[in-house]
Amino acid sequence: MTIPQARLRNFSIIAHIDHGKSTLADRLLELTHAIDPRQMTSQVLDSMDLEREKGITIKARAVRLEHTANDGLVYGLNLIDTPGHVDFAYEVSHSLQACEGAILVVDAAQGIEAQTLANVHLALREGLTIIPVLNKIDLPSAQPDVVMDELENALAIPREEVLLVSAKEGTGVPALLQAIVDRIPPPKGDPKAPLQALVFDSHYDQYKGVVVYIRLAAGTLHDHDRVRLMASGAEAELIEMGYFRPALVPVPLLTAGEVGYVATGLKNVREAQVGDTITSADAPAGAPLPGYQEAKSLVFAGIYPVSGEDYPLLRDAIEKLHLNDASFTFEPESSVALGFGFRCGFLGLLHMEIVQERLEREFSLDLIASAPSVEYEVLRINGGAPIRVDNPSKLPSIGEIEEIREPWVQLSVVTPSSYIGALMELSTNRRGSFVGLEYLDPTRVLMKFELPLAELIVDYYDQLKTRTAGYASMDYEEIGYRAANLVRLDVLVAGEPVDALSMIVHRDNATKLGRTLVGRLRQLIPRQMFEVPIQAAIGSNVIARETVRAMSKNVLAKCYGGDITRKRKLLEKQKEGKRRMKRVGSVEIPQEAFLAMLRTDES
Amino acid sequence: MSLPPDGEAAPTGDLGWGAVAPVGLYLHIPFCVSHCPYCDFVVVAGREARGPANRIASFVRALEQELDLRADALDRHWGPPGTAARPLLDTVYLGGGTPSLLPTNSIARLLALVRSRFGVADGAEVTLEVNPGADERGDAGAIRAAGVTRLSIGAQSLDPKELRTLGRRHSPDDVAETVRAARASGLASVSLDLLYDIPGATLESWAATLDTALALVPDHLSLYALTLDDPDAEGITGPGGDHLPVSAGARRWRDQARRGQDDDRAAAMYELADRRLAAAGFAWYEISNWARPGHRSRHNLAYWEGRAWEAAGPGAHAFDGRTRRWNAARLDGYIAALTPSDGSAPRLPPGLQEPVTASGREAESAILALRTSMGLPPSALDRPALGPTLTWALEAGLLEPTRDDRLVLTLAGRLLSNEVFVRLV
Ligand SMILES: Nc1nc2c(ncn2[C@@H]2O[C@H](COP(=O)(O)OP(=O)(O)OP(=O)(O)O)[C@@H](O)[C@H]2O)c(=O)[nH]1
Ligand code: SF4
Ligand SMILES: [Mg+2]
Repeated sequence: MTIPQARLRNFSIIAHIDHGKSTLADRLLELTHAIDPRQMTSQVLDSMDLEREKGITIKARAVRLEHTANDGLVYGLNLIDTPGHVDFAYEVSHSLQACEGAILVVDAAQGIEAQTLANVHLALREGLTIIPVLNKIDLPSAQPDVVMDELENALAIPREEVLLVSAKEGTGVPALLQAIVDRIPPPKGDPKAPLQALVFDSHYDQYKGVVVYIRLAAGTLHDHDRVRLMASGAEAELIEMGYFRPALVPVPLLTAGEVGYVATGLKNVREAQVGDTITSADAPAGAPLPGYQEAKSLVFAGIYPVSGEDYPLLRDAIEKLHLNDASFTFEPESSVALGFGFRCGFLGLLHMEIVQERLEREFSLDLIASAPSVEYEVLRINGGAPIRVDNPSKLPSIGEIEEIREPWVQLSVVTPSSYIGALMELSTNRRGSFVGLEYLDPTRVLMKFELPLAELIVDYYDQLKTRTAGYASMDYEEIGYRAANLVRLDVLVAGEPVDALSMIVHRDNATKLGRTLVGRLRQLIPRQMFEVPIQAAIGSNVIARETVRAMSKNVLAKCYGGDITRKRKLLEKQKEGKRRMKRVGSVEIPQEAFLAMLRTDES
Repeated sequence: MSLPPDGEAAPTGDLGWGAVAPVGLYLHIPFCVSHCPYCDFVVVAGREARGPANRIASFVRALEQELDLRADALDRHWGPPGTAARPLLDTVYLGGGTPSLLPTNSIARLLALVRSRFGVADGAEVTLEVNPGADERGDAGAIRAAGVTRLSIGAQSLDPKELRTLGRRHSPDDVAETVRAARASGLASVSLDLLYDIPGATLESWAATLDTALALVPDHLSLYALTLDDPDAEGITGPGGDHLPVSAGARRWRDQARRGQDDDRAAAMYELADRRLAAAGFAWYEISNWARPGHRSRHNLAYWEGRAWEAAGPGAHAFDGRTRRWNAARLDGYIAALTPSDGSAPRLPPGLQEPVTASGREAESAILALRTSMGLPPSALDRPALGPTLTWALEAGLLEPTRDDRLVLTLAGRLLSNEVFVRLV
């Protein structure tokens, strides 16, 4: 059914992590009969295995709903459920660009958190209508009055506008649906103008080629139209188009203001990238849409196949995954220790973990990621423009370096005021400085710090949670580069430098970090058939050393008639474990070793 | 088919491909007075094993029924025992659990049934596992009269403190008494099982246990590193599985005990034992087994040599040269199938089977052969699936050629044998 533009509503659901966005989406899907009750599960839009396992949303998901409002008319609602984790702020800002409104969900028991603030600012920047919702009012610990005060104080949101909802039990959700219809303006955009549709996501389908997800800014699209991707120049005759309901459901027509998908049949994934504009091949628009600002990678690591011959498979997998997650960057690199792989840039550590896991699962690969690093700016003695170094092993030799600059971030932490002291101490320990503090309500504050990003990615978040009994939340943004006294810490395993373990550290901390690192490596590298010395060095100067003693016993004591099958399976499991390790020289190193510095075991 | 005498090369690695009739028979007797916390065997203990509510008699009825059904199938397939296609049994093994808990007349009846339905060769090896406790070791004279030729005694340790750590009920004196009774009854062969790497043990306490054991003059010793597995995690304790779930108490005990184990100490204990035993006239013949001449366990050798054996009892495994088959571990299902309460015809107990693939078979027989002092013939180096690993193991000092031209694990190779095996599976 074609619904006139005036009755379309495009909105995102935004919130701090775990405040109940996906659960609220479940209720909206149910109330609008978008999904067969027999297929309903909780957080039904979190369809990726990883999302279900981790219980968080990783990718924004769009769904087209149809709702008969109080006026008896049918409205077309396009809902986008967004992720809450700070690493995926980029997904949120994309989603917001496709909307006129945002439902701001705040947990009535937790109150405003760091990403609540960050997401509201994103929505305001896009000029969206915000519908504030207090969720989880069924909880005995819910304090709607206190949280409404916070919204008023910190975000100038009048309490009259706030809706009270329990996404779990469904209370208040019908009223929210009506508020969506009443408060959010319909999209603009002339259906008769030349076609301009922004590609905001895509995936690869074996049969239908690249399937792109679009929002039409102007024009109309009919199935089997010939389209052109304005940036790549590729043209294609559409194989299929439709809505997300949430499964892909074909429709013959999409018009300005609507969100949907088109199957292009294109086999080359580079021809249809996120941010490109689709127009008509026969009557093209004069100019493309502004597209997206490229996601800024903050954390870099090498990704390598465990066995070298999988390199071509990895290349193919990375390109295909990139279609579905345009927010990581990649370029080929090689490592002495790890062979051929890709240097990848990520939005944060969770993002890095997820990209690696998706590559492994969706493409059946065994991968190793090197120690993560931030991107440094290096000024050389002989002048010239500063070079960017996102791989510690590429740092020029000390003699050539005039200055190294590292990225800094401004960190916003929302915390109960009783932890102010603990957080001050944590940030000072991490070379950070305190910027300011603001009370959200009598017991909770928003604190701001500046600190080097490198200090943040180590284990700052875990420490923050540990020191505040889990109560604090944080968000950060980059604030530029600052010079520091930095050196490269190298690691030698069995006398061989392992470039993938190198890291850039502050000179004052180098010795302490070197000791911690080799200590952890000693525990993480399993005993081998020979003794393995592990050393940390700055230049040729060894600053710490430990030894992994030779393995003394690996034997199955009993192997009688009943044991043969069982023992074979145990051996197969051991073999699988070995296969997951990277052989560097003669030493087998497990993935965890490369992430040794990220583990929290100090306080 | 008869087995070669000790020391003579056995065919290994390339037995023919196809099902054959069994040369051995294993019977699993699941009862124990109490369940030792480290033990993964299929065991029922406590009320079911002793006292008015014990299930021994109904189990024995079910076991006899299974033996009949298994023998029927062999008769149909291979003809009656004692023909070329259906050799008489060379070995019978009553394992457990604690088979010595069975009333002696039950043991006698079971063995009589085995003789009549399967045929047992003259000079066959008939082993019974016993626990040393005064109330569980049974009457050695009657056991011998029932046809048993070999006792395997679960001594585990001869250090009172370690026995307590292990939750064992017997004392070192009980072990001595069991050996003495076995000798007095004229049993041909006596073996002791001992455990090393017990939490709290030292190299000294282990040396003392070995000395005490040797002073009892056994014919055979099995020395096992205490192994604390997690069969639940291995996925073998489900309804059709061949193992029983681990109790919460045993799980706690294992978690605690694992912290008291130490690979370096274990390796030192193994090396010490290998030296002492050799000096005392025991030859190493399998990773965990040593024997005086003429006293290797023929039944166990049959496993390692890839021969076929039949099996009965809950959790018992059989192999016909092509397929591994096992009964489910649970006693209820076992008894219910074989002795149905509604009077219907007895059925074989629930269980599963797994064919051994050609490549799986090659790896498996190489691994089993390498566990023994027989090792592999040098021609194994030419096999594509084995050659590279064997060459690597030779270079790494884990494997060596012997004077009689076999490739055999070195002492270091035995301790690190999984490093070799994991490259073969
Ligand atoms: N009691 C109660 N629990 C709720 C309610 N809404 C959501 N939850 C629970 O809160 C947890 C997080 O809910 P999600 O819907 O996954 O939260 P989210 O905001 O989508 O989380 P991210 O996508 O990871 O940012 C789940 O355990 C939900 O069951 C509610 O109204 N009441
Ligand atoms: S007596 Fe033997 S079989 Fe029985 S539980 Fe103890 S170790 Fe296991
Ligand atoms: Mg979610």
